[in-house]
Amino acid sequence: MTISKIRLTVTAATLMATALVVSACGSGGSNDSGTPARGGTLRLVGQGDIDFLDPTAGYNTDTHTLARAWTRQLFTYPASKEMAVVSKAVPDVATDIPTDANGGITDGGKTYTLHIRDGVKWNSSPARQVTADDFVRSFKRMCNPVAPVGAPGYFTSTILGMAAYCADESKIPGTAAALANFMNSHDLAGVQAPNPKTLVFHLTQPASDFIDIIAEPFASAVPVEYLKYVPNSPEFVDHVMSDGPYEITKYEPGQEIDLQRNPVWKASVDPVRKAYVDKITITQGVTPEAVQQQIQAGTADMPWDVTVPTPDIPGLTGDPNLTRNPSGQVLYSVFNEQSPNNSGALKNVKVRQALEYAVDKTSVSRILGGVKIAEPVSQILTPLDIGYKAFDLYPTAGLQGDPAKAKQLLAAAGYGSGLTLKFVYAKDTGAYPQIAQSIQSDLQAAGVTVQMIPATRSDVYGRYLANPANGKNGAWDVSLLSWTPDWFGNNGRSTLQPMTDGANYGPNSVDYGDYDNPVVNNLINKASSLSASQTAEVASTWSQVSMQSMKDAAFIPLVSQNLPLYTSSRVHNAVFLPINGNFDITNIWLSGGGQ
Amino acid sequence: MASPEPDAVLGSFGADPAAATIVAIGGRGPWLLAWERLRRDPVAVGCFVVILLVVAAALGAPLVAHLLGHGPNTQFRDTGLSAEGIPVGPSKKFLFGTDDLGRDVFLRVLYGARISLLAGVSASGIAVFIGVFVGLAAGYIGGIVDTVLSRFMDVVLSLPYLVFAIALVSLVGPSLVISIVVIAMFSWASVGRVVRGQALSAREKEFVESAQALGAGNLRIMVVDVLPNVLGPAIVYATMLIPLSIVFEATLSFLGVGVLPPTATWGNMLAESIPYYRVAWWFVAFPGLALLVTTLAFNLLGDAVRDALDPRGPLARTRKRRWFRG
Repeated sequence: MTISKIRLTVTAATLMATALVVSACGSGGSNDSGTPARGGTLRLVGQGDIDFLDPTAGYNTDTHTLARAWTRQLFTYPASKEMAVVSKAVPDVATDIPTDANGGITDGGKTYTLHIRDGVKWNSSPARQVTADDFVRSFKRMCNPVAPVGAPGYFTSTILGMAAYCADESKIPGTAAALANFMNSHDLAGVQAPNPKTLVFHLTQPASDFIDIIAEPFASAVPVEYLKYVPNSPEFVDHVMSDGPYEITKYEPGQEIDLQRNPVWKASVDPVRKAYVDKITITQGVTPEAVQQQIQAGTADMPWDVTVPTPDIPGLTGDPNLTRNPSGQVLYSVFNEQSPNNSGALKNVKVRQALEYAVDKTSVSRILGGVKIAEPVSQILTPLDIGYKAFDLYPTAGLQGDPAKAKQLLAAAGYGSGLTLKFVYAKDTGAYPQIAQSIQSDLQAAGVTVQMIPATRSDVYGRYLANPANGKNGAWDVSLLSWTPDWFGNNGRSTLQPMTDGANYGPNSVDYGDYDNPVVNNLINKASSLSASQTAEVASTWSQVSMQSMKDAAFIPLVSQNLPLYTSSRVHNAVFLPINGNFDITNIWLSGGGQ
Repeated sequence: MASPEPDAVLGSFGADPAAATIVAIGGRGPWLLAWERLRRDPVAVGCFVVILLVVAAALGAPLVAHLLGHGPNTQFRDTGLSAEGIPVGPSKKFLFGTDDLGRDVFLRVLYGARISLLAGVSASGIAVFIGVFVGLAAGYIGGIVDTVLSRFMDVVLSLPYLVFAIALVSLVGPSLVISIVVIAMFSWASVGRVVRGQALSAREKEFVESAQALGAGNLRIMVVDVLPNVLGPAIVYATMLIPLSIVFEATLSFLGVGVLPPTATWGNMLAESIPYYRVAWWFVAFPGLALLVTTLAFNLLGDAVRDALDPRGPLARTRKRRWFRG
């Protein structure tokens, strides 16, 4: 399954990892009282650039933070401090959530009929209504050979004819003319526009999470003008069009992105974006430490792609502008179950179970800034994910690990004389080196010799984890990585499925350790083919997958992260969107309208 | 300390002319004279003491660990870190405070000295050995051998060493041995060049001609006649290379391509301390100071050795003074 890449929460966000505090929902700081004021310039400061401006290809969380302001989708997630609300898609350009009852879902969950909201317009001259054809075009353009969709698997595995369409489209020459010609001459069976206001999807099988899949910014509306340009080319970037509340006025890669109000956007036809501020500026190339200092000094309002540096957090205790936001990001260790090292010890579930007991999760949490920032966890799912039910199969006192018990279980499994494990980790990713040393020390206390393999982040994935040959020959045994689902709520397809579906192991699989249990594979097949009306059963199926994967000790879940974010004191209504790992910039207002 | 050297050269003449008539003046070779000069240079003596202390720290680190009852990698997760994961400051238990994993910075600085000295001394030793060998061959043999070796040295000197080192380490994987090899690989060529120049002038000297006339072989002339004449500059280079190699090793460790964690090295410690410099000064200050003091001591000692071995040239320090006077 090539569905989901690890979302690149650029820089500091990935550096740390964290904890999910259910009660942290109301963590939006104290600045959200008073009457919203319009006007002013919201100033974001951060380190890196977006990956692609083209919404079809953009996959980074910061890219999606920006996309919220200038693109619109059929469905999206509302700005809310309630975890249950923020993880449930609501209509955006579509008029309603389709259900069996309202006739939106028919054919046993395989056909979705949507209606386009009146008054949603492109900032073309003259302004033009967004139509169903703009969405058909979006799906047809996904597999262009130049800047294809970041996560094609979600679409090819659900939409009828999409896989074949993608296979053909990815082979055409990378010119605007060839792409336009292909899209105009080839029909995509699964996405049809019988009239400008009606959009019909045909699926290969029922998918309870289909609304969430097409709520991703990849499926933003695409105006006909985009066919004139090579996707994400400099010409494309110069001619982007907006149907959201803001339009891009300046884009200097790696330096600055500026937005101003889109004059044709109307609040009355946008149920989720309030667009209080007049302008938004994003300044890049600033280190996390400097970002923090600028925001504290009031010369900037909020971070763009970084979090508060860990050493700064204790000094901000009690500051209402510091919030800790449940991100759904989980830091975990994965076992290479194919490894021939130690005569295949990691294939033995008893060995993996023993190692589960060895690790001091409280220490990992402390390295990342304490339990408020990084909460120890005992499974891959967090309360933001479908199927989450609290359990801990390998409890230790104070979550501090129990090396003695681990040693004893290893002996019982026939490895009393110890193991030697190769531990590969990203040396250039935040606190990973320290976390790796902490785990190394824990494992050594349990009689395991750990050979450290520090590598660059890209090597960890490219050379070790995502390379089946190096998995089979034992180039690594254990690794350290983090996972952020692409969406929350009904998201098994973006959490446990890619991580535990052994049937799809291969190059680029994110089931890095080749965990393969037929019981789990069958549960996944079942969950993926239930329809939207069977969500309760979907949830219980994913619960079983989570439980089984932990019984099999497929990985050691470490901590789940509450992103520490800081805003200037003039920022109000900063609502955290877990899907973007940042605040919703379209719903923030500034004291006195920024005056 | 106006200029003690003339006294050193003149021996006891200046001090007690009467005694001079009684005590026979023993023959003193250039090495002995150099030693005499070095011995009377207070800076050199001070640096030597500092280096001895560093060596003692390096050798005594396991003993200190034994006395303290914990190792350099022991993580004090409860007493060495605050609940938010901030290192704790210097105290009776942790003389230099702790690092980001709650480890004892004092002990780690001591253990770091082992790596720094090992890398510094062995890398410069290898570099000087190769440099002398290649330089001697190029300078004495001359001709095509000289051309090939000299161009090779030029190539080595023109390589962007840090980029090359990082590339090499990512190919073969980081370790102390690799670090030493990399440092030596990029340091020998400058020694080689100097030695070549010396050998070039030495082979034209009369004593070489006489050796040739007596029928000595090339190898014998190189080792017995030419080598002693190039050894002075080589020794100066060796002392100068040690601090360079120590810094080079620290740089590699700092960049994460040197010695593997959790082994304590000053470079590793500095790299780990960066995010904490505003809240835990001790974490960056002590390894930084250790690196500074050690390299400074080696550098100043290197200067003094050069002055001692090369009485013809003005002293580096007096030369500077003159320059300041205009």
